[in-house]
Amino acid sequence: MRNRASNTLSKGKIRQSWSKYNLYNMQRFRSPPTTNRTFFQQKWSAKAASRAYHGEQVREGQWKRMFNHRIRSVIPMNASDLAADDGSLVSSGRGSGLDKGGKPAYQTRPTPYTHMTFAPLERRLDVAIFRALFASSARQARQFVIHGAVTVNGQKMKHPSYLLNPGDLFQVDPDRVLYATGHTKTPYERRQGRLTRRKGKAQGLEGAEEAEAAPEAEESKETAKEETKETEKEDTKETLKALLAQAKSVMSAGKNTLAPQRKQELRGFQQAVRRVLSRSESSTVLADSLEAQFSQLTLLLKAKRSEKNPEKKDVKPRPEDAFATDRGDAELASAKKDTEATASDKLSEAFAQATLGNEVDASELSDEEFDTLKRALTQMRDNPLDNSKTYSTPWQPRQYMSAFAFIPRYLEVNQNICAAVYLRHPVARPGSAEVPTPFGESIATPAYGWYLRRRW
Amino acid sequence: MPPRMQSRSVSNTLLPYLTSTSSSSSSLSSIPSLSSTSSQCLSRQFSATAAPQAQTKLRRQMFEWLNNEGSIFKHHVPGETNYLTRLKQRGNEGSETPRPFPNNQHFISEPILSEELRNEVYNRVVEQKKSVRVVSVELGIDMKRIAAVVRLVELENRQRAQGKPLALPYARAVHEMVPTTPLAEKGERQTYHEPINDLPAHPLTGSQIFYPVPESRSFNRVEAGRVFSGAPAMEHSEAAEISHPSDLAEKIMEDPNSIGWVGKGANARQILQPADVRIPHPHLVAQERDRLAHPNERLAVADLQSKRLERQDALEKERRERLQARREKKTTIVSPEDSRFNYRIKDTIYTTETTGVDGRGSKATGRRYGVPHRDRTRGEVKVPTRVEA
Amino acid sequence: MVLRIRLARFGNKHNPFFNIVVAQARSARGAKPLEVIGTYNPIPKRPTNLYGEDADARPYKEIALDRSRAKYWLGVGAQPSDPVWKLMGMAGLVAPKPTTFDKA
Repeated sequence: MRNRASNTLSKGKIRQSWSKYNLYNMQRFRSPPTTNRTFFQQKWSAKAASRAYHGEQVREGQWKRMFNHRIRSVIPMNASDLAADDGSLVSSGRGSGLDKGGKPAYQTRPTPYTHMTFAPLERRLDVAIFRALFASSARQARQFVIHGAVTVNGQKMKHPSYLLNPGDLFQVDPDRVLYATGHTKTPYERRQGRLTRRKGKAQGLEGAEEAEAAPEAEESKETAKEETKETEKEDTKETLKALLAQAKSVMSAGKNTLAPQRKQELRGFQQAVRRVLSRSESSTVLADSLEAQFSQLTLLLKAKRSEKNPEKKDVKPRPEDAFATDRGDAELASAKKDTEATASDKLSEAFAQATLGNEVDASELSDEEFDTLKRALTQMRDNPLDNSKTYSTPWQPRQYMSAFAFIPRYLEVNQNICAAVYLRHPVARPGSAEVPTPFGESIATPAYGWYLRRRW
Repeated sequence: MPPRMQSRSVSNTLLPYLTSTSSSSSSLSSIPSLSSTSSQCLSRQFSATAAPQAQTKLRRQMFEWLNNEGSIFKHHVPGETNYLTRLKQRGNEGSETPRPFPNNQHFISEPILSEELRNEVYNRVVEQKKSVRVVSVELGIDMKRIAAVVRLVELENRQRAQGKPLALPYARAVHEMVPTTPLAEKGERQTYHEPINDLPAHPLTGSQIFYPVPESRSFNRVEAGRVFSGAPAMEHSEAAEISHPSDLAEKIMEDPNSIGWVGKGANARQILQPADVRIPHPHLVAQERDRLAHPNERLAVADLQSKRLERQDALEKERRERLQARREKKTTIVSPEDSRFNYRIKDTIYTTETTGVDGRGSKATGRRYGVPHRDRTRGEVKVPTRVEA
Repeated sequence: MVLRIRLARFGNKHNPFFNIVVAQARSARGAKPLEVIGTYNPIPKRPTNLYGEDADARPYKEIALDRSRAKYWLGVGAQPSDPVWKLMGMAGLVAPKPTTFDKA
């Protein structure tokens, strides 16, 4: 299907999209005037405006078949109200003058039914993916489905128009989600990606040649082994250095795109790493993989911390390998939990204390600093610099995403695995409607009226 | 000059991986960036004529807005929502309900479950083996959502074990942008995530009915339901048995077939039940009634309630198991050793009832003869309507 | 005339689906049979939503069969074709067919 849904400024239509054009359009959108216009004209323009947002990818005839004048609604019940009255209070004395004056027994806010006109469209798989914040537009969500990146209840679903049933679990490939919601690559990053890809290809070719020449291969393998051993010996210091380099490259690459705050953070991180480097001069711990290196690092940090305890032991523990990995795993788990709790205020408080509190000696690191460094390391592992990805790494949310970020109640989303469950159909309740629509009463009601009358 | 980073030694969040707290966000909004440079039209040095307008007026206005007022939306502030309505609210301070759309007052960005609360739900259901109903009341989360959370966390654990890629930075960013319901600290009361006793509006209740009732008679919810569904009024003796509509809830819980029917044949439908029966947690009403009846015996009421819940859980479990047993009875699973597959053998019945006299009945097992397959007919939608879980 | 219990192919290209039918041996595959006593879907399905121990369950194929009719037709001398023999063997209606290796 050709994409006719452009975010043109001249038309000023609102779309299901996170683009900045759309944000601007949404900001300047005013409801069409109603004075001197016939009721038909009002309905027509209301329909046009709301259909540009709701299911623009759905043909009008298809939508008209989906439309239902009956709108789902719920009323939250209060158990104590129900227990106190069996309903006869409301009905008693009607007509005999007892119901005059006074407040009615139950007071509720009006239910915005007409805001729910397009509720049937929210059942569509592509729209639900967009609502779950897995894609930056409904069109993109549609593409993900067609390209086979979406499963429903564990089975690949290729139809964007699949209508979700209550209880359906849909999942999108996490890489696509990161691509859709992340920063786009800068030209520099793109070039780096190309270079690494080319390098990888060349290495692959070499490997193939080696495999062909059998006697040579053995020798080369041996040398390769030695090399890997050497790299295994790469100690924590080197990893830290690598981290530092990464931070630097992030800084230099994203001069324009990085938020000023982020730049400051990066600088702070570089300083912290430099300090740790200067402290850990003699550490010769073996680390074979990134994971193990990481656990070693955290272990080292822990050791340093114990060193800082009142006893002030000058002995640096050099744990055996098994012990190291065990401890490392435990540490990893705890660190993971830490990162998961980032959103909470606890962390920010800790940070605030770390930054505002005591003056930090240049040679020594405080506990909080260790904490932050540790956390940074976990995040470094979760969100690595990787040029082979289709999005800018380390991942950060794309610009203007936050203005569109909300998750409606009828979805339960697990962002870690990019999966969501469609719990139930959207409903209206007193005071609020669950269908996300940027339009107010003055558009919702005429649009509902338009579809209420059958013209086909 | 604003304080530089040296004084802070380690920023609160170090890396680009770490997003920042709001403590130092004052400088954020005022700094123009990339888009501003691209928006300025290039001046041509070779030509003597004036450079043509590189941008339309609207485009220029847009970038102007994005660089001034709109620049606050470029990056999110962790722990806060950042919707368009912020622009209008800036004057009057205060945390109003977060509304993403300035024109729509009726759409609210509802909080989502925080990571800890989600894990707590999973912990209570799976490890502490509490029933979904109990956890729902404890944490104020809809029962469907609890079931979904358990499913999703289970899936997440499996994917972690398999080493599949996860979108951890994305998850963190979303939890920073969207309002969340936090898990209560120990000793504090858990804030309710959402209303759990929602009564769906039944289509039958949409009609307006004039129904005269003698004043001597109390007309309650049970009778109103009968009127809405067109059922005859109850006998006096029958009505007298029901002291409160929530009595019906317990009766129906014990025996779901006790609901009466109106109409005949294809038009037969169950009589509309009172709200006390149709809400997801009818036991809460019963508990409130106990409280009203025995205001000073909190322990006794709690005891009654726990017994009621146990009874309900036992009944529901029994019903589930019976259904499962019936399903299993119909199918046998064979797993041959020399095969890569299991075979599920389902029992069917071949009779003239299913095949019809001419052998073309649509209920019969297998594809039909003499009838084109349904996907050949014009206008037949080939998109599946359901996916088996 | 010989009665056979055999498969009749339905479904589309690359998407086979079989009826298990009782038919005269010489009748065409697509001809109307005496009875349709079951179905067989040879496309394996992957079990979804498996947790814990079931996580590495094998994919499965679906068979539907009217056992009493199958027994009746076997009793009056209907001969299952090889694939149907295999399916019925799994359902426990006939003894597994001896392979050529066993015969020798």
